[in-house]
Amino acid sequence: METVVTMSQKQRDLLELGRLEYLQALVTEFQVTESPEAKEQVLANLANFAYDPKNYEYLRQLQVLDLFLDMLTEDNEILVEFAIGGLCNLCLDKTNKDYILEADGVAPVINCLSSSNEETVMSAVTTLMYLTTPQSRQQTTALPVVECMLRFSLSANRRLSNLARVFLEDYCSPVQVEEARNLSKHTAVGIPLPKD
Amino acid sequence: MWSISAKAVIITQFNIPQLPCNLTGPRCEPVPCIARRETGDHRNVNGTESTQEACNVYTVNLESRYLLIQGVPALGVMKELVEQFALYGAIEEYNALDEYPAEQFTEVYLIKFQKLQSARVAKRKLDERSFFGSLLHVCYAPEFETVQETREKLQDRRKYIAKATSNRVHFLVKKIQEPKKTVSKNSEHDFQPETLGFSAADANTGNWDPSACCPYQPSCEFSSRNTACPSGGHFERVLAFPQYVSNCGETSESFCQSKPLTQSAQQGGYTNTPVSLVLQRKVPSDNGIGRFMPRTTQLQERKRKRDQDNQIDFIGIDSDSTEVIIGPRLPEIPKVDMDDDSLNASASLIRNKLTEVAVSVPKSFGEKPEDTQTKRPIKQRRRI
Repeated sequence: METVVTMSQKQRDLLELGRLEYLQALVTEFQVTESPEAKEQVLANLANFAYDPKNYEYLRQLQVLDLFLDMLTEDNEILVEFAIGGLCNLCLDKTNKDYILEADGVAPVINCLSSSNEETVMSAVTTLMYLTTPQSRQQTTALPVVECMLRFSLSANRRLSNLARVFLEDYCSPVQVEEARNLSKHTAVGIPLPKD
Repeated sequence: MWSISAKAVIITQFNIPQLPCNLTGPRCEPVPCIARRETGDHRNVNGTESTQEACNVYTVNLESRYLLIQGVPALGVMKELVEQFALYGAIEEYNALDEYPAEQFTEVYLIKFQKLQSARVAKRKLDERSFFGSLLHVCYAPEFETVQETREKLQDRRKYIAKATSNRVHFLVKKIQEPKKTVSKNSEHDFQPETLGFSAADANTGNWDPSACCPYQPSCEFSSRNTACPSGGHFERVLAFPQYVSNCGETSESFCQSKPLTQSAQQGGYTNTPVSLVLQRKVPSDNGIGRFMPRTTQLQERKRKRDQDNQIDFIGIDSDSTEVIIGPRLPEIPKVDMDDDSLNASASLIRNKLTEVAVSVPKSFGEKPEDTQTKRPIKQRRRI
């Protein structure tokens, strides 16, 4: 009796059936499997599929966007990393962006800024940039976020400091940056810097 | 000029302990990356035997016009190397990184392409390729970018998506309509005993596949009105209702309890149902909503339930580990009186059998080391 669905066999069988079916098999596998490694692998697959706009409609149909958003609050760091990577990949598309904003997705993304996983943090920074619209700007460039970016811009991690600087220079007003700068002089509140 | 600035860059880099893999020791064991970015090349997806290998996710941050090439044999072959890479696009700059950690007898190079796409292709083609007897390890090197280059990279991605999305609008409108047509067709059909029998038979022979889980996922909207079975022949129908289920406690009760039990009572087809099928079927009925709940509600709901330490939940929490299972946990099977003695008798027979089967499942999983969730050794993921 089969109690665990292995990926390779089943997916090979389904490959001929088309993109939607294949993606659906991945989603099903994710739900059915008990193995954390398999979950991570499937999530990585889905996150990579999220890079290609060809797949966006299918991913929406399969509610993979919700899957990614839900994974952001998981304990497993790797799942979080892959999920935020997936969101980063697909959030530029207008429909996806609206969906994520509608689903109140900005908050969990902001929370990812405190992760100790540097890839997670960087994906979160980029995702926030991409999710910034005139409507969402207030949330994506809230004071604690700007303050966090200020600290990131001083990081020894070049990739992180680059991203933070782009965020500050292109998505925040000088007033916002100044306000955050003043704040950080006086207090230590805000989103903690991940360990380098 | 370049070599001076490169040295400056290198010095800066070595202050940063950011190397994804430990290069001060032996070179990273190349782990076949299963989750490559989808390029229509399905061959790469899960191309290995083991499902236990670490994966990577490609994002715009990870990619770069800069490529780092390790494993170049120290034979004075820089010219040949650059020529190889130049096949894939114009190279803006290139340099040997003398102070970058390298295996004995090998060198490390940095190549900057004019276009990101060229870097992508070059990486794909030349990574793990033999070069003068040595295997090259090619990866992106976004840490060498300037702020402006990072900015441009992010902008380019924006433009690409904008263009790709606008092109696909018309094409996709058509595609969307197709699966939806299938949905409406199916909703007209009533539950067919024959089909159920067929799928049960399928299950018995071990021929079932993951899509068999589909119709029983409560978030599938058709579940309340259509219980078409996932036999192999009806594949397309089933696959039209994929949907990620994050709250499985929503199956309409009538579907779960009355019809299938009735049918299966008549057919006796579920006694040998594989456990995984059972997993999907047996859904706790804590609420009768047959549709996918809005995500925010789920989060609050989940939090509330976690706080209350609720037993019956749509998230199953294994008492031995912190693993969260998405999908229906094996709960108590709801007892229904079907106003018929023989039906009730059959139902309780089946129920007992299912309980037996359910009990045997956790044991088989118990072999998994219990600390896998909490203390899995962090896999060295190959830098991509």
